[in-house]
Amino acid sequence: METPPKNMPLKNYRVLDLSRIWAGPYCTKLFADMGAEIIKMESLSVYDSHRGPVTPARGIAAYPDGEPGEEPWNRNGWFNCLHMSKYGITLELTKDEGRRVFERLVSISDVVIENFRQGSLERLGYTYQELRKHRPDLIYVSMPAFGNTGPWKGYLGYGIGQEQLSGMAHMTGYRGEGPMKSGINHGDPITGSHAAGVLMAALRHRRKTGKGMFIDVSQQESSVALMGPEVLAYQMTGQEPERQGNRSGWYAPANSYPCAGEDRWVTIAATNEERWQNLAYATGIAGLADDPKFATLEKRRENHDELDRIIGEWTSSQEAYAITEILQNAGVPAGPVLRGPDLLADAHYKDRGTFVTVDHPQVGLKQYPGIPWRMSATPGQVRWPSPTLGQHNREVYNELLGLTGIEIDQLDETGIIGTKPTGSRII
Amino acid sequence: MPGLLEGVKVLDLTHYIAGPYCTKLLSGLGADVLKIEHPKRGDGVRWLGPFASGKTDSASGTNAPEDGAWFLYLNTAKQSVALDLQSSEGRRVLLELAAKADILVENFAPGGMDRLGLSYSELHKINPALVMTSISNFGQTGPYRDWKAAELNLYALGGLMNITGEPEQEPLKEGMPLAQLGAGQNAFAATMAALMYAEETGEGQQIDLAIAEYATNILENALMQYSYSGQEYSRVGNRGYGRAAWGIYPCLDGHVGIIAGPDHRWPEVARIMGREELSDPRFLSRAGRLENADEVDAYMLPFLVENNKVDIFKAGQESGLGFSFVATMKDILEMEQLLDRAYFVELDHPVAGKLIYPGAPIMPEESIDAWVFQRAPLLGEHTTSALDSWLSYSEAQVSELITQGVLTQGQGV
Repeated sequence: METPPKNMPLKNYRVLDLSRIWAGPYCTKLFADMGAEIIKMESLSVYDSHRGPVTPARGIAAYPDGEPGEEPWNRNGWFNCLHMSKYGITLELTKDEGRRVFERLVSISDVVIENFRQGSLERLGYTYQELRKHRPDLIYVSMPAFGNTGPWKGYLGYGIGQEQLSGMAHMTGYRGEGPMKSGINHGDPITGSHAAGVLMAALRHRRKTGKGMFIDVSQQESSVALMGPEVLAYQMTGQEPERQGNRSGWYAPANSYPCAGEDRWVTIAATNEERWQNLAYATGIAGLADDPKFATLEKRRENHDELDRIIGEWTSSQEAYAITEILQNAGVPAGPVLRGPDLLADAHYKDRGTFVTVDHPQVGLKQYPGIPWRMSATPGQVRWPSPTLGQHNREVYNELLGLTGIEIDQLDETGIIGTKPTGSRII
Repeated sequence: MPGLLEGVKVLDLTHYIAGPYCTKLLSGLGADVLKIEHPKRGDGVRWLGPFASGKTDSASGTNAPEDGAWFLYLNTAKQSVALDLQSSEGRRVLLELAAKADILVENFAPGGMDRLGLSYSELHKINPALVMTSISNFGQTGPYRDWKAAELNLYALGGLMNITGEPEQEPLKEGMPLAQLGAGQNAFAATMAALMYAEETGEGQQIDLAIAEYATNILENALMQYSYSGQEYSRVGNRGYGRAAWGIYPCLDGHVGIIAGPDHRWPEVARIMGREELSDPRFLSRAGRLENADEVDAYMLPFLVENNKVDIFKAGQESGLGFSFVATMKDILEMEQLLDRAYFVELDHPVAGKLIYPGAPIMPEESIDAWVFQRAPLLGEHTTSALDSWLSYSEAQVSELITQGVLTQGQGV
């Protein structure tokens, strides 16, 4: 295994990570970014479904050049962007020898984290009480969709569903049209990020008291927590929030406007009177700044459609970055709607190292989102690419558990560990 | 009610959304959070409605409002100290507080702290173990450092907007400011990591967190498929990218989320919808459904528009399918699962009155007092008590500073 990083905040902590897909993995990604030792444990029969199917069709863009290759589960970009700097092992918990190994892993871990459907680990005999027998001060993070209690505890949930059940989707959409989902699944990173911070508070608490704890994460509750202002607003006004498109209840105008080129857009937000005036002058449209139809916030709201048309005509012949420059120079909030290629080529993100180039043994050099913040004393870095299935079995089982080569071979031969999937029901 | 972070001292120089959500998580976990506010205007978010008093719009007038929904939610369990940072005496008091703090969180535009004479290097000199978390739109460095941005612009520059909305219409932002709130969450995690490091080594540091970068960090496959195969992700409206029967659909009393998958569960979807046509072999695979997406939708809609959202949700869930529904605010407040888990807390505020607040985003076991639930402070409510508890200022010292206009003490209501 790698030498632990010298000065990273969480270098002294080991997390046994049974989580899958996105919510749990985003939590442990932030931990890995901060230097924690993450042991990502998968099963050969049901590996992390972000690795994709065992035999996918060709041409799916998540694979390098659409080519799944001989081991597609190791070449999927969905998976490979979330597990950098983690160790990857496999283990079958349905077999007795696998369970003995698992219990030894628990005994040397500070944290166990999982986001199975509620009760899955319990059905294998592993409640928090049981896990604590192997590690008395264990912190166990369980993050099913709706938490570990209540009438919906056994229900399934995905991040996309949490956008709906938290009310986020209710507020998102074009004016006068139905609710709209986002392009991603916000519920996942929201839960993962909340969990990362609370888990650090729990580790700190353990450092002071010597006591572990059980952390019951409801992905839904974590998402509703971001809806608080609207939950209060509803009680104050008795009115459900209206879908506003890109407009704001606090200022006008605000929208994304068409630019030169195909599907090119620039966003503009005149967040106060001064910025509205600056915007009006910057467009160079004669009389716009003094037009009584747009003189006050109320007027601009009332005539927002017309204003959108006027601004849209001005933007439609120009480049999104060029308009942004003009408006930013005039102190007006503006920015292009960036697409994938724009993001990777953008001068600001290049300057800040927002995306990092990582060499994956089965993928080669590709760009990934990096560590989402900078730290002056413990800068950190992406230390290695996402693990292939079972990549670190030998290192972990030998160096951490002290198993001999022969013992590890035996686990391999009996199908308890390995590097080739055995399941067919992986979606 | 001590909280997991009892005893941690936080100096909170944040305002509006991203910074306050970060420090709300710290105060919620029991840290001692002093929210430094301008004596007259307070946090700018105080002026944004709606308000409990019935004003529905941005407030005007001279007194900072106490009862705006955004302020009330984002500032629970904090203490408000009304301090004029522009005055030299105010700066002196702030430096004294910073010397005692474990954490300082700020979200001024980059350079704002320097202009106040409160740069990290200055603060580091008086408190080497201090964690200073700086949240900004684009970060403390880089060509866009000084750009102005609202949520709309951050969502666009962060890459999330390009993939939200209908392909033939303009790109759309989320209704909630999820870039700012999500960045606030990540700032909380980053701050906790730096705090643990500082407590172990005595070494503080500055965290530079950019809201736009939070957005770029959660693009997942929307970025990765371009990185891997050069194929761009695009807007697909309410259908999942490259999927069918996977998204938001209308129903009798609102909207539901249908999630078809994995393939071996599809017959269950067909059974729930009561349409034999859906069992057609052409629809059995994800690829087949995608190819015939409109036809699949047409067979599902009659069932959906005749049934209520909660019934459809439960019919799916009872069959092991991850259906959902689009909850309204009313639905959320009445949701049986949230009520059963005692998720909400009622807080009484002297101006806003009693309101139901979402509680802890994550709840450790009941036997541990992890969170504290207290209302947001009135402007300057804790000026005297905080200067006493942090700096042992006498009443006379505080009065003197109030006379000089450096501090104000909220009168209470």
